[in-house]
Amino acid sequence: MSTPAREMGRKDGSFEREPARRVFAAELRECRYQFKDGEDEKSPTFVLLPSGERSNRIFLVGTLTEKTRQGEQNIFYRGRVVDPTGTFFVMAGSYQPEAMQQLAKIETPAFVAVIGKPNLYQKPDGSFLVSVRVESITVVDKETRDLWVLDAAEHTLNRVDACMAGTAPDVIKAKEQYPTMDPAVFRKMAYDALAQIKM
Amino acid sequence: MDFSEAAERISRKFSKDGQHADARKIEGKLKRLVQEFGVQPSEAERSVTNELAKEYNVPLAGATPGGKSGGGTEEKRIAEASPGEWVTFEGKVVALSAPASPAIAQSGIIADESGAIRFVAWAKANAPAMNEGSWYRIESAVVDEYKGVANLKIHSGTTIKEIGEDRALIPTPIPIKDLHPGIGGVRAKVVQEWDASHERMLQSGLLGDETGTVKFVIWKEPGREKLAIGGVYNIFYAQVDEFNGRLSLNLNGATILQEEADIPVSGGDAAFTGAIVHIAPGSGIIKRCPVEGCNRALSRQNYCPVHEIQPNFVYDLRIKGWLDDGEKTHSILLQRDSVEALTKINLDAAKEIAENNPLGMDEVFLQMRDVVLGRYVTCKGREIDNRLLVNTCEPRKFESGEHTKLLNRAGGAS
Repeated sequence: MSTPAREMGRKDGSFEREPARRVFAAELRECRYQFKDGEDEKSPTFVLLPSGERSNRIFLVGTLTEKTRQGEQNIFYRGRVVDPTGTFFVMAGSYQPEAMQQLAKIETPAFVAVIGKPNLYQKPDGSFLVSVRVESITVVDKETRDLWVLDAAEHTLNRVDACMAGTAPDVIKAKEQYPTMDPAVFRKMAYDALAQIKM
Repeated sequence: MDFSEAAERISRKFSKDGQHADARKIEGKLKRLVQEFGVQPSEAERSVTNELAKEYNVPLAGATPGGKSGGGTEEKRIAEASPGEWVTFEGKVVALSAPASPAIAQSGIIADESGAIRFVAWAKANAPAMNEGSWYRIESAVVDEYKGVANLKIHSGTTIKEIGEDRALIPTPIPIKDLHPGIGGVRAKVVQEWDASHERMLQSGLLGDETGTVKFVIWKEPGREKLAIGGVYNIFYAQVDEFNGRLSLNLNGATILQEEADIPVSGGDAAFTGAIVHIAPGSGIIKRCPVEGCNRALSRQNYCPVHEIQPNFVYDLRIKGWLDDGEKTHSILLQRDSVEALTKINLDAAKEIAENNPLGMDEVFLQMRDVVLGRYVTCKGREIDNRLLVNTCEPRKFESGEHTKLLNRAGGAS
């Protein structure tokens, strides 16, 4: 889906928009498992976060440090958005014209808020890349960035706690897919991210 | 799950008719239906009862016209009656409605202190006509289910006796959140009035009390009057229908008393905090139909779906979007006041942009999007049909207390 589901919720009471998960770059980078919920062509695709939650959409705020225009006929933009833990790779192509125009206009560096869909790719050398296909990107202030760090830390800690409890279906799936992962790593990561916010 | 109680109940029903029904066997049948076949317990009870009735040749639910069932019924209160049962009770006819078919002699609502139920007297039953406002003792009637709602059938085996005295009957309204399909009464305030969607409709809108809100409808009928918006009413014996999982009160046939009071209405205190993750088309500056009482949003060609082309439209501001807290996404609708406060663009400024910028109204949308999207806010308002109608929308502020709390939480167990 290039554009978010718009007015579906109004008539169809059962429609629920997929929430945008809050996840730090260092955790998103570790995703290795992507799945579809349902057989349908339109069924949503999820990446499984190592802390044990599915994610079809994410919301992130960080610093856009770099953007490049690529492609001749099919123009698309790539960007790097940095948070306290690492780097998100974002992209917007001709299937996201609105997002591409937004991204094209932004001067780096800038604090940006990004809503988008995470996708898992395997590069020819066998390594994995998680990139975020942008639905929307806007320039924000530092306070919004700081609020996001709190928000992402809180959700990360919630996931770590749920992962320790170990009963949710996605947690069980995560333990199968990421057998060597220790959720305590993400607790430490959240702490380090919080510690970087200066009073 | 324990079925012994239901089995005992069924067994007793038949032992009164001089049949011996083994409660253990019944229990086994119930268990099988519920556990193996996923049948609802109430439905299982009904189907086992019917099966046994056939086996013992005992009449049930008007199966044998003219046949008297004898005293096989328990004296009950209306609220305790469930589908598939024979009942005897005393109640007051609180409403009569026009029969929907020539096969029906009379239909209406009968009530006691515990509740109320819709009844139908078959023409074939030759039952004496009942009068609205009088008390009757009804023996050996059958409760069944019609359109998912319990319904009392008066058939030829039913005896009706008028009770001379007029007993006091004070129905108690129930909280809106506890309403269920059937007959119900509420004490509520008219919080909204909607456009009639059908020419036979007199009025529709929303009623609210402390516990929630519910849709209501009044159909055109002689003697029916509209409710006043903002008025508080005691409404008794309204028909509660369910449609698409939502309840609706049909007030035709209900007793309605206005009250000189004001009551607090819930739904205005819903609050969500999160990030605004999407601004939908149709946000920003819009044109509205100037016809009195219409106020619909016009298309780009100034076209109102009801009043056609309206060149003397009125400008307005609104934002439709999604507010996301990371777990759930809420649909939000901000009106002019909230939009102006949040975007710092007022209606005059927006008009100025719309009329002088080459992109016109789209430019307002883009400017508003850029200052709103991706921001953390707390929205408060009334939630209706999964959409939050926002009264206030405040930007969220960074609080060091929260920061410290999270640091402690993250550091505490590492």
